[in-house]
Amino acid sequence: MAEHLLVVRDIAKSFPGVRALDGVSFTLERGEIRTLAGENGAGKSTLLGILGGALRPDRGSITIDGVRRMEYTSRRALAEGVRIAQQEPAIVPQLSVEQNLLLGLTRQQRKASADDIDRALKDVAQMGFPMDARTPVSRLSPAQRHALTIARAFAFGAKIVALDEPTTSMLEHNVAEVLSRVREIAHGRGVGVIYVSHKMPEVMSVSDTVVVLRDGKPAFDRPITETSSDDIVRRMVGRELLSFERQHPVDPAAPVHFEASGVSHATSSAPLSISVRKGEVVGIAGLVGSGRTEFLRSIIRADEGSRSSVSIAGKPVKIRSPRDSRTAGIAFIPEDRKAQGLVLQTPAYANVALTADGQLNGFGPFISKKKQIAMAEAMGKRMSLRPANVSLNARQFSGGNQQKLVIAKWIWLGATVYLFDEPTKGVDVGGKVEIYELIDQLASEGNAVIVVSSDLPEIISISDRVLVMRAGEFVSEHTGADINEHSIVANAMGVSSESPQSSQNDAAPAASVPSSDRIDPADTGADAFGAAKGTS
Amino acid sequence: MSSATPDGIALRPRRQINFQALGIYIAAIVLFIVLGLLNPNFLTAGNLRDVAVSASVNAIIGIGLTFVIITGGIDLSVGAIASFVGIVSATLMVNGGIPPAMGLIAGIILGIVCGAVNGLLITKLRLPPFIATLGTMSVFQGCAYVATNGKPVYDVPKEFVLLLNSYVVGIPVVVIVVAVVAVGAGLLLRKTVFGQNVIAVGGSEETAWLSGVRVHRVKIAVYCLAGGLSALGGLVIVARINAAQPDAGSPYQLTAIAAAVIGGANLMGGEGRIAGTLVGAVILGALTNGLVLLNVPSFYEQIVTGLVVLIAVSLDQGSKGWPMLKRSNKKDLTAAPPTASTSAVRS
Repeated sequence: MAEHLLVVRDIAKSFPGVRALDGVSFTLERGEIRTLAGENGAGKSTLLGILGGALRPDRGSITIDGVRRMEYTSRRALAEGVRIAQQEPAIVPQLSVEQNLLLGLTRQQRKASADDIDRALKDVAQMGFPMDARTPVSRLSPAQRHALTIARAFAFGAKIVALDEPTTSMLEHNVAEVLSRVREIAHGRGVGVIYVSHKMPEVMSVSDTVVVLRDGKPAFDRPITETSSDDIVRRMVGRELLSFERQHPVDPAAPVHFEASGVSHATSSAPLSISVRKGEVVGIAGLVGSGRTEFLRSIIRADEGSRSSVSIAGKPVKIRSPRDSRTAGIAFIPEDRKAQGLVLQTPAYANVALTADGQLNGFGPFISKKKQIAMAEAMGKRMSLRPANVSLNARQFSGGNQQKLVIAKWIWLGATVYLFDEPTKGVDVGGKVEIYELIDQLASEGNAVIVVSSDLPEIISISDRVLVMRAGEFVSEHTGADINEHSIVANAMGVSSESPQSSQNDAAPAASVPSSDRIDPADTGADAFGAAKGTS
Repeated sequence: MSSATPDGIALRPRRQINFQALGIYIAAIVLFIVLGLLNPNFLTAGNLRDVAVSASVNAIIGIGLTFVIITGGIDLSVGAIASFVGIVSATLMVNGGIPPAMGLIAGIILGIVCGAVNGLLITKLRLPPFIATLGTMSVFQGCAYVATNGKPVYDVPKEFVLLLNSYVVGIPVVVIVVAVVAVGAGLLLRKTVFGQNVIAVGGSEETAWLSGVRVHRVKIAVYCLAGGLSALGGLVIVARINAAQPDAGSPYQLTAIAAAVIGGANLMGGEGRIAGTLVGAVILGALTNGLVLLNVPSFYEQIVTGLVVLIAVSLDQGSKGWPMLKRSNKKDLTAAPPTASTSAVRS
C-alpha cells in the first residue's frame, strides 16, 4: 500500500524545566480525521507547534508522504500542505473575506487562486455560513470567522490540516453542519485532519481515530469505534473525574452581608440588584454575552458609565472606582487573569502586594521587600501555592497557581466580598478542585461570594444559590434541587421544553455524553445569544 | 484545607543574576578600554570628568523618562521643556532680578507644570502619549521662542553658574546632582509603593486598575517627574554655557530616550532600570568625547550614536527573544488557552 500521509515518530520536546513532549508517535492517513485529546498542558499545543514548523523537536522525526523531513521549518510545512488553524482565528478583521483567503500568497499563486477561492467560499456556505467574498471580516460574527478559518485551512492544496478547537464560538446545530462538512472535505479530498477539541460529543461524531496525550506521552491510540467518550476522558485525566461538594453550605439563618442595587453600565438594559448572605456562594450562570462580566465590573465601577449602590453589612459604602471598592473590601477576580489579574513580568510577591498601600512598608515611606515576601509566602502556604517560591515571576506559575496569586492579593487585605469571574478558566482538573476548596473556605469564614461561570458542573457544585442571567437581566433564581443543568440551561437560553431549540439539540452530534461532561453554554457564544433572544 | 499539607521544601528565593542588565555594564567597560587604547588621553582623570559632565544632562532627563517609559508611555517634549525652562529661568534671573536659587526652583516648578499638562492630556483626554507629547513638544518649544522673541539670554548671574557648574573637592557639582537624582529615583522606583505601582501600570494597566491602583494619578505623577527633571537638565545646560538658548534642549530630545533605551527600558512598558539609564548616558557621553579625541569629524558622531542605539536594543531583544522556545515554554507552563494577551507579545 501507499505510504502513510504523515508519520510522527518518537517526538520529544523539552523547555527549560518542563518536558512538554516525550516520545510521541502516531500516523495519519489520507482522509483520516484523528482527534488529539488531552488536558491543558498535556502537550497538544507543542505538538501542533512542531507540526507547523514553529518549534523544532529535540528528538524524533516527521515523515510526510514517505519522505522524512529533516529541515522542517514553517515554510517547509506550508509547502508540504500542512495547515494549522488556530483556536483564535488568525485573520485580519480590516480585510475582506477574499483578501484574508489570499493572505500570504505570492503574486503567481494569487493569479491561479480563483478556483480555490470559489471552493473555500462554497465550503463555508455548506458549513452554514454563506458569506460574500467582499465582506470585511470585521462584520462577521465570531462563528463565521471560525468557519472562514477552517475553510482557509482546507484551501490551496492542503494535505494535512490541524484544527484547534474550531467550534468554540458556534451554536450546536452549526457545529453539526461544520463537522459534517469537515468530514466530507477530508474524505472527499483525501486530506488528513488532526482535530483538537475538549468537547467529547464532537470528538465522538467527527473523528475516525483518537490519540490521547497525557503529560506529553501518548496514553491511548484507538479507532473511535472501539472506545467511548468516558474511556477517552479517563485516559486524558488518568484519574477519576472531579467531584466536588461544598463542605460548608450557607447557614440558612445567616444575615445579608453584601447588597448591590441599581447596578448598570453604559449598555445595560435595566439596573440589577443582588444580595449575598454571610457565608453564601451565589453562582451566576448564563451565556457568554449575557452581561455577567459587565455586572461584576459595574459593581466595582471598573468601567466608565457604570453605576451601583453598594452596602456591606448593612452600611452603605460609596464606590466610585476600583480603588474605593478595594477600600470597602470587595475583591474582583477577573476572567482574563493574565491581562487583568496579574503583572506577569513581576515577581509573585509583588503581584500579591499590589493591593497594599502602606501596610507592607518598613522604614518610613519605603516598602519592605522582606515583609512583602513573608506575607506572600504565608498566603502561598495557606493556598498550597506551587512552586512555593514567591520570588518567581507570575508568568512562571501554572494557570491554577496564577489564580491563587490573584485571590491571595485580596485575602491578605481582608476583603469580605469576593466576585469571581470564570475562576477556573484554563485551570486543569486538579487545580480546579483547589480553587473550589478555596471558595468554600472563603465562604465558611463568613465572606460573601459571587461566582460567574460558564462551567455548569462548577456552578452547580459550588453554589448555594444560582441566578441565571439572560440578555442583561436575571431571569431565574435556583436553590436546592432546582440547581440542576436542565433548568439552568433552559433559562439561560430562554427556552422551555417545547420550543424549537430542543429540535436543534436533537440535530447535534448524538453520542453518549457522560454526565461529567461540560455542557458549556459559553461555547455557543455570541451567536447562541442572538438565537436565544430570537426564540424568547 | 491546604494548611495541613506543608509543601516541604520551600525553595529559598535564589538571588538571580540579570545577565541582560549586566550586558550594558560590560559594553560600557569594553567601550572605555577600547577608547583608552586608541587614545591614551581618554582615560585621564580630567577627561573622565569631562565625560561625566557631558553625560549629566542626558542622565538627568533620561532618568525622568525612564519612569515614563516604564509606564508604557513616552515623552517627546523633554527637550522642549528643557529649552523653555532654561529661557524662562534665565530671563527671570537676568531681567527679573530674582535670586539664583529661586530661579532654579521656579524653573523646576515650571517643568513640573509642563509635565502635568502632558499627564492630563494623556489621562483625562486619553491622547496616546506619543501624540500628546508630540503636540506639547511643539507648543513648549514655541513658548521658548516667544518668551524672548527667539533671542538668547546672556550673562546669567555668576552665582547661578556656580550653583550648577563648579567643583566640590574636585568633583563637578552636576555629577553630584546626577548621583543624588539617581539614588532618589532608584529608591522611588524600587522601594516605594509608588514605584511598584509604576511598574504594575506599565506591566498591565488593567490589572493595576482592577487592583485599586489610581492609574491616572500614577501616570500624571510620572510625567510631572519627567517634566521636573527635564527642567533641571535645562538649567544645567544654562549653567554650562552661561547663557540660555531657546533651542538648547532640542539635542537632548532623542538622546535622552536613547540613554534610557540603551539602559534596558522597554518601550512596551513594565521594564527599565535607573542604573541602566545612567550607564546609557555615560556610553553616549564617552562616545561623543572619544570621537572628538580621535579626531573623527563630528558628523559621524550621530551615525555612531544611532548605531549604538540599534545594536543595544537588538541585543536586548535578542536575549529575550532568542529561543522562541522560551515563549512557547511560558505558554506550556501556564497551561492556559492562548488568550489574546499571550500571543500579543511579539511574534
